[in-house]
Amino acid sequence: MNKTEEILSTANKLRWEVGENFHDSILESIYKDASEISEKVVTRIGEKPKFDLDRFIDRIVTGRWTGFPIMFLLLALVFWLTIIGANIPSSWISYILVDTLHPLLKNFMNSIQIPFWITGLLIDGAYLAAAWVISVMLPPMAIFFPMFTLLEDFGYLPRVAFNMDNLYRRVGAHGKQALTMSMGFGCNAAGVIATRIIDSPRERIIAIITNNFSLCNGRWPTQILIATIFIGGTVPAYLAGIASAGAVVAIAILGVLFSLIVSWGLSKSVLKGEASAFSLELPPYRPPRLLQTLYTSLIDRTIFVLWRAVVFAVPAGIVIWLVANVNIGGISLAEYFIRGVDPFAFFIGLNGVIILAYVIAIPANEIVIPTVLMLTVLSTKMTLGAGAGVMFELDSTAATANILHAGGWTVLTGINLMLFSLLHNPCSTTIYTIYKETKSIKWTMISTFLPIAMGLIICFFFTQIWRLIAG
Amino acid sequence: MNPLTSLIAGIVFIVALLIVFLPGVGIIARWKRIRKDRSRELIEDALKHLYDCEYTSVDCSLNSISGSLSLSGEKTAQVISSLESMNLITSHENKISLTPEGRSYALRIIRIHRLWERHLADNTSVLEKDWHSVAEQREHETSREEADRLAASLGNPLIDPHGDPIPSITGEIPEREGITLNNLENGIFAAIIHIEDEPKEVYAQLSAMGLYPGMQIYLLENSKNKIRFEADGEECLLAPILASNITVVPISEKEHVKEKFQSLSSLKMDQSAMIVGISKAMRGQQRRRLLDFGVVPGTIVKAQLESLSGDPTGYEIRGATIALRRNQSDLIYIKQVD
Amino acid sequence: MITDNANCATCPAHNLANLVKLGIDMSEFDYVVALAGNPNTGKSTVFNSLTGLKQHTGNWPGKTVGRAEGGFKFGEKRFKIVDLPGTYSLLSTSDDEEIARDFILFGQPDVTVIVIDATRLERNLNLVLQVLEITDRAVLCVNLIDEAARHKIQIDDRLLSKMLGIPVVPTAARQGVGINELLKQIHDVATGQFICKPHRLSSEIKNVSHAVDQLNKKIAQTFPDLPNTRWIALRLLEGDQKVMDAIRTGEIGNLKPVENFGE
Repeated sequence: MNKTEEILSTANKLRWEVGENFHDSILESIYKDASEISEKVVTRIGEKPKFDLDRFIDRIVTGRWTGFPIMFLLLALVFWLTIIGANIPSSWISYILVDTLHPLLKNFMNSIQIPFWITGLLIDGAYLAAAWVISVMLPPMAIFFPMFTLLEDFGYLPRVAFNMDNLYRRVGAHGKQALTMSMGFGCNAAGVIATRIIDSPRERIIAIITNNFSLCNGRWPTQILIATIFIGGTVPAYLAGIASAGAVVAIAILGVLFSLIVSWGLSKSVLKGEASAFSLELPPYRPPRLLQTLYTSLIDRTIFVLWRAVVFAVPAGIVIWLVANVNIGGISLAEYFIRGVDPFAFFIGLNGVIILAYVIAIPANEIVIPTVLMLTVLSTKMTLGAGAGVMFELDSTAATANILHAGGWTVLTGINLMLFSLLHNPCSTTIYTIYKETKSIKWTMISTFLPIAMGLIICFFFTQIWRLIAG
Repeated sequence: MNPLTSLIAGIVFIVALLIVFLPGVGIIARWKRIRKDRSRELIEDALKHLYDCEYTSVDCSLNSISGSLSLSGEKTAQVISSLESMNLITSHENKISLTPEGRSYALRIIRIHRLWERHLADNTSVLEKDWHSVAEQREHETSREEADRLAASLGNPLIDPHGDPIPSITGEIPEREGITLNNLENGIFAAIIHIEDEPKEVYAQLSAMGLYPGMQIYLLENSKNKIRFEADGEECLLAPILASNITVVPISEKEHVKEKFQSLSSLKMDQSAMIVGISKAMRGQQRRRLLDFGVVPGTIVKAQLESLSGDPTGYEIRGATIALRRNQSDLIYIKQVD
Repeated sequence: MITDNANCATCPAHNLANLVKLGIDMSEFDYVVALAGNPNTGKSTVFNSLTGLKQHTGNWPGKTVGRAEGGFKFGEKRFKIVDLPGTYSLLSTSDDEEIARDFILFGQPDVTVIVIDATRLERNLNLVLQVLEITDRAVLCVNLIDEAARHKIQIDDRLLSKMLGIPVVPTAARQGVGINELLKQIHDVATGQFICKPHRLSSEIKNVSHAVDQLNKKIAQTFPDLPNTRWIALRLLEGDQKVMDAIRTGEIGNLKPVENFGE
């Protein structure tokens, strides 16, 4: 192999001769050839048209006076359609999977003499958790993702990145983070996957870590429910709607602010040493294809993410059932935990039930409220719901409010829950996705523990100041 | 508990956490620094200094070593004697020189140092003024294998961002060429090949003037107390003592672009211009990305689209629309075309 | 090893061992086709039309999730098609580009189909010319000709084919226009019915052609069978570690043209 070594050493000597600009020269000569070829083979038919539709659209969507309103309206429309549109199919699926199939399965298991604990683990635990996740998660995602994909295929989203880049540049991030963040409003796991569009490692990791600050689909219902009960309840009835909606929007905006602040902090500290580059091509506009988009976004995104969520929900369902049903000395594990944690939870204005719910409902934010209700009933010995370890939800907000008030909840608890719902660890589906995407334990840990540390600190200070002022 | 008490307790707790754990200045970080064994660092730094003397053909003495390592004479003598016992240097009547082993050790450290500087410049957002000090730390913590991997990932670079050659795996390094700027004669075209990165203050001043290796200059006046030259079309003024930190090689007049460069960021909407060059300050992946997009000398660009807030701007480049941030388009030079 | 090329006009050229290493199962296929192209050229749509698979297409680089594979039959031959990540270049050492580059270099696909956007031909030619430096067997798919027509752009595909030395097929993959012709050209190049004479960079690389020539000669002496010695020389001069390693281990020497699987 002497000859090969000779080649390499010759190459090394010659490298000093060709110098530093070699790469530049290669590209220069490639493009010289490219332009010679294209000059010969490309011809324009007739005059260049006076009216260029692409430029016209560009001028409008990046215009100083038109750009922001269009962006805001389009995104608002997408969210509004998602929230409104998802309600009906969600209740259908829930009616079939939770209200109809669940009792049927349970009766069936009882009728063939299966021990109660097997039924509990499999039907009340595993099945119910999976059913819950599907019914709450599937409809909004099936609406949100295709709409988002349509905007993307049309070519509008790169323009949003283009418009927003100035803001994101200032916090050390990439304009495309505006898109992954919006995607995060649908689902954080999908938002994390979407960061693949950011081709600079540093900016991509920033986008991944901060994606959790986008209030995802699983958290919107929690926010809306708690705001309706606790914020809407503090104002006169005719203002209740506006006040609670305003509170939810405020939390979402707070999330955006946090994502910017944390991006800035990360780019100035732990991520200082990571590679950074900016490139953004604005592709031509193309008419989107409806059916193709519906099909592929359903397969690529919705089903993919949903499957991951279900896989994580099943074992969690089992754990939820177990902690509520395994008794030591007549008291369930859940109650031990709740009592033990209550004094600490008091400092951050929450309670043991909420903390436990967030620990065991880690697979999906969707099952936090059903778990909270089940645990509240369990720990206060109310005779409501469907039994220990069986998650449930009530149709009427007033009835839910009654349970929570009975559990000792106050306005402060409500607000803190809203803050904590925004600022806590990502769900396990997202954590797993972050690990898959970064292949790094370090970034996964930071993404997991940074938000929860922030949540604990902010809830603590908010609570103490609230108590100080309220006396 | 009284909310005021817990509020104060909370603040105290967080401050305490910061004091202990804050990276760089926290107690743990300080404690680690104190505990670290400095003897290897000292040996390696001394070797580097000795190699530097050899490369620039200056005699090295105990004094110059203790100066460059900022050590007391006594400590320096200790370092020297341990170097001698390790057979890395020999000393003859006050003249210290490297043994072959010492030289290859020094070259290895220099290689690692310059590779790190290249990496910091090309791939990170670490500020230019911090490259040297960060590399100064890392050079002692990087094994030979890690250095080779770093080199491979950087595409085995030849020179560091200050224009110094990086020794190869086998320790080869080209002969020193060029003269310092204060020795350049009037009316000569030259290219900067090296800017000395020590002392730090001088380097910061030179880089703040926008000088970088690869830059072309034209010497207007070289007198006892000032050196006046044109760099990228702009006139610069330096004291000779500062100019001695800059190494240049004369170049033929043909290559020199006389006219003052305009940067792409100055191009008005809907106007076209031809790219004549990309500043050397555009480095690494960022530079390669732009070259891929067709940002090469000779390309016609047209400012096509302004974003909402005025930055970035969309340029038509080789038929595609590419968005460039202002800090990127500042580094691309253009000339007007008809 | 010495086989007459003429006897085996339809032999596959791919490097089976390397393909297996790259994770490609070739057990049921005769030929392997790589699909390369810039992001946003409708590459995935072309992939879908060729295979009948549905894959999402997007406006972004790095969009192709992992590496998609599919298959199709044309004539009596079965083709495996591998969708490479969309890249602007093969020289910038990003992960995506390395995957694409390694596949074309070490996998030696029987045909590399390069998909380009007809409305942005010049920019796209960058990648085309780079691919043609590596491989002899390629087909150019000029996609989105419908969009080009909308922008009043006309492309002389015959002249382009002549200048590049490879078959050029204009397509509008969304409407299925030109896909059959593309299949036929892939088949013809794979089976050796069309012999490519790919364009190699003609313009002198500034100030350095001497160094490139010198190194090129040395490589050609040691590895006389290699079709792309000049490209190897360019990579070595750029300090490409992977190519340096491949030279050192002699792996480069295994990348021989057609005769390789002649027996």
